[in-house]
Amino acid sequence: MSMVRLVNVTKRFRKIVALKQINLSIEDGEYVCVLGPTGAGKTTLLRIIAGLLEPDEGEVYIEGKKVNGVPPEKRNAVYMFQNFALFPHMNVWQNVSFGPVTKEWDREKVENVTSEILEMVRLGDRRDAYPYELSGGMQQRVALARGIAAGARILLLDEPFGALDARLRVNLRTQLRSLVKDQGLTAIHVTHDQEEALMVADRIIILREGRIEQTGSPQEIYTNPQSIFVMSFVGGANFIDGSVAKLDSSGSTIEIRGGLQIRVSDTSRRMGERVVVAIRREDVLLGKSRRRGFNNLIGEVADVMFVGGSLEYVVRLENGVSILSRIILASDSSPFSKGEIVIVSFHPDECRVFPYPRKGLLKEIEAI
Amino acid sequence: MTARLRGTDVSSKLVVSCTLITFIIFVLLPTFYLISYIFLRWDEVWYEVFANPIIGDENWKQIVRVLLFSFRLSLSTVAFDLIFGIPLAYVLARKKFPGKNLLEDLVTLPLVIPTSGFGFATLITWTTITGIGGFLGLKRGLISLNTMTPFINVPFILFIVHVALAFPYIVRTLETKIQSIDMTYEVASRTLGASSLTTFRKILFPLALPGIFSGAVLAFARSLGETGATMIVSGVSATASIAIVRWTSEFKLSTAAFMGSLLVLIAWVIILPAEIYVSRSRRTRHLSFSLPTNLAMGIIRLERFLSRKFFFLKDIIPLIIVTLTVVIPIAVVLNSVLLYWSSDPYTGKVEGGVIYQLFGPSNYFSSLLRATLTSTIVALVSTYIGTCLSIPLSFIIERRWYGRIIRTMLKVPMIIPTSSLGLSVMLLWGPSGLNLVNSGVWMIILTHIVFSVPVIVESIIAAYEGSGIQMYEDSARTLGANAYSAIETVSLPLIKGGVLTGAILSFTRSLGETGATFIVMGRDITVPVLVVNMVEALAIPAALFTSTYLIALSLLMLAIVRILTKR
Repeated sequence: MSMVRLVNVTKRFRKIVALKQINLSIEDGEYVCVLGPTGAGKTTLLRIIAGLLEPDEGEVYIEGKKVNGVPPEKRNAVYMFQNFALFPHMNVWQNVSFGPVTKEWDREKVENVTSEILEMVRLGDRRDAYPYELSGGMQQRVALARGIAAGARILLLDEPFGALDARLRVNLRTQLRSLVKDQGLTAIHVTHDQEEALMVADRIIILREGRIEQTGSPQEIYTNPQSIFVMSFVGGANFIDGSVAKLDSSGSTIEIRGGLQIRVSDTSRRMGERVVVAIRREDVLLGKSRRRGFNNLIGEVADVMFVGGSLEYVVRLENGVSILSRIILASDSSPFSKGEIVIVSFHPDECRVFPYPRKGLLKEIEAI
Repeated sequence: MTARLRGTDVSSKLVVSCTLITFIIFVLLPTFYLISYIFLRWDEVWYEVFANPIIGDENWKQIVRVLLFSFRLSLSTVAFDLIFGIPLAYVLARKKFPGKNLLEDLVTLPLVIPTSGFGFATLITWTTITGIGGFLGLKRGLISLNTMTPFINVPFILFIVHVALAFPYIVRTLETKIQSIDMTYEVASRTLGASSLTTFRKILFPLALPGIFSGAVLAFARSLGETGATMIVSGVSATASIAIVRWTSEFKLSTAAFMGSLLVLIAWVIILPAEIYVSRSRRTRHLSFSLPTNLAMGIIRLERFLSRKFFFLKDIIPLIIVTLTVVIPIAVVLNSVLLYWSSDPYTGKVEGGVIYQLFGPSNYFSSLLRATLTSTIVALVSTYIGTCLSIPLSFIIERRWYGRIIRTMLKVPMIIPTSSLGLSVMLLWGPSGLNLVNSGVWMIILTHIVFSVPVIVESIIAAYEGSGIQMYEDSARTLGANAYSAIETVSLPLIKGGVLTGAILSFTRSLGETGATFIVMGRDITVPVLVVNMVEALAIPAALFTSTYLIALSLLMLAIVRILTKR
């Protein structure tokens, strides 16, 4: 039985449609990331599940029960806001025991449950501390403990690492995921950070302009993106505009600007159709010689950037198109320098072909 | 489950409608009743104001004269305060220096000191031998009650009092506004080569314009409606709000009501456009016009020169004004109480001493005790009722679509002259209206509730908006608290500071109010009114003592507010 199920959920704010006909089902114990750019409707989706908003159309089910009209306090779905929203006027103990106390459990039970959970998140000795006295990591543990103590079965995380600095975010992500998994909770985590989503999620739901664009495991999303938008939003890629010039059983040939030709394995397009060829940056290789079975184009290195453990090259092809290549830095390889003439190679299997978007290519990529 | 939800819905509707009904009856109705009174009794008004068989339209002519005088006074006060308030607000908002807190308190002081006490302090400072005159070695006061201010043709002493009383409205409003403007814009402008004056004119001024505007409106309203201090220093001239008090006591009710509703209408005409402008200015583009290049270059050069040579003036002149209008009067009062303690220092008569007047045959001390009791009861009860109404009202303002409308409505009691408000309350609840309440303590309380609600609501809203309450409350809901326990355990504790600050401000305001109280008090005199009575009875030493007492009380209040807002 699915933990959370949405059927045809639609939500409007005056004229703006925040969610359109959302259908979605989340299993018990699953860690799901809802990924999308600002304004995609992520927070609206989360608030509808929490009961802080009611959908205009459609049904919401939690543990198989329809919960439309059920107030938030009856749903066992705890909402965790950006930076955790620990009550600033209460100490750790009061924060964690908030759920049990408001549910009017008897005192002994409140004591036992709260101290047990505090021990579990290793905060037994900080019960009298106030939120502002705690580190980011501790605050997160308190927030989680508070949710568990309130009997949460579902955690709704709204950009939980919003304003924290980059290194702390990375640490907290893994901590959060393992705590959630240990407790067997179902988590729905909203973020606009694709790296975060790829790292923690069992499954990613990509939301765009109120619609689900694609759902799948992180690997699926990365290796098999269904649209230019998903490919560009998750991981990024080179997008080259062209049209189908030749079509045969082993693939097709795409003609791009300046009469250059790219061989791709895809055969699903029609002859003469305007298409976009997409190649991940790490699939673009640079060298001094042609590679057999690859597309080989000649270009000049226009810029080199150092990105983490790899080098990112901007290579200008003969036709003026720029192509990005990311090559892992290895001690034995000598990097190319600016102005050097190189051969750009990529395999036909690595090229994805999408129909040319109706609103133009830039529109699909720039939305991010 | 759904039944329970519906139950919550019904009770929340009940709370909302009770709050709104109370708000409409106790706050809105008195503010608007005056206007309907004019329409209901138009015949009477026409007869008394325009077509009196004996004096003709003499009353109308007087209204016009008084209004013109009031406007001249208030407009020049605002202009003067703007010129010196803007630099001071800038300094307070942007600079850190030792004594800043003290300076802030000094600027705020006229806001909390009961104005009749403050007016009396100013009066003896400027016009008597114990003030500046004596200090300079003269045998009389520095000026007389009738010394006129050049150009604007209003008595100098009146002008000084109004300048001091309206000053905090401009400075504090603008200070808050400037603090909310990101300083990086100014830094960017300076690093791009603009002098500090040019930066001010082209960057800060346009961005702060809504703040300047609302500060000016508040200051104007304050000056127009001021009664306590004005009564003491006005001499023979009459401002609009004083005229209302006088006419009411002369039973020229229709004339007073007509004038009062004119003032209410004027307040509306000023506030509505200002409200709309201020609330929209975030979205609309700022006004811009282009000067010829030569002229613009010239101005920038001049500004660069002035910035280099005379910029220190912006720190000094406001300081001098605050010293002259606030510090010296208070010091003079304190000094004079000591001088007059046992006897009149100039004639040596014990009858002219504080002790004789307080405990002698006139027994002002027992009047003072009685007035203190009345004042305290009024302030406590009206603040308590005001707070009880303000808390749910603030939540409604923040959470309902019509909240904005209510908030605008609440601005009205803040800017209409309190004497018109008092008149309106008297006509509505008193014997000539619904006949439910007679003049006295209860009517004073009804009047004070009207202006305590907006004060408390503003303070609660500031706390509310600064603390992300919605987020905490939503968290509490998903953790299992129902709508009411979420408000009780999370939201209320978070706005506690705002509620307390608002309550104290309202208490102070009620303690110092004179204009409305004069009209509705009947025989229950409050302390600030007592000061006016003492001055009119020429019991100067007693008035000195009472003013000192009021100043001490308000300093205590200010200290409490400081401690509360620090946290």
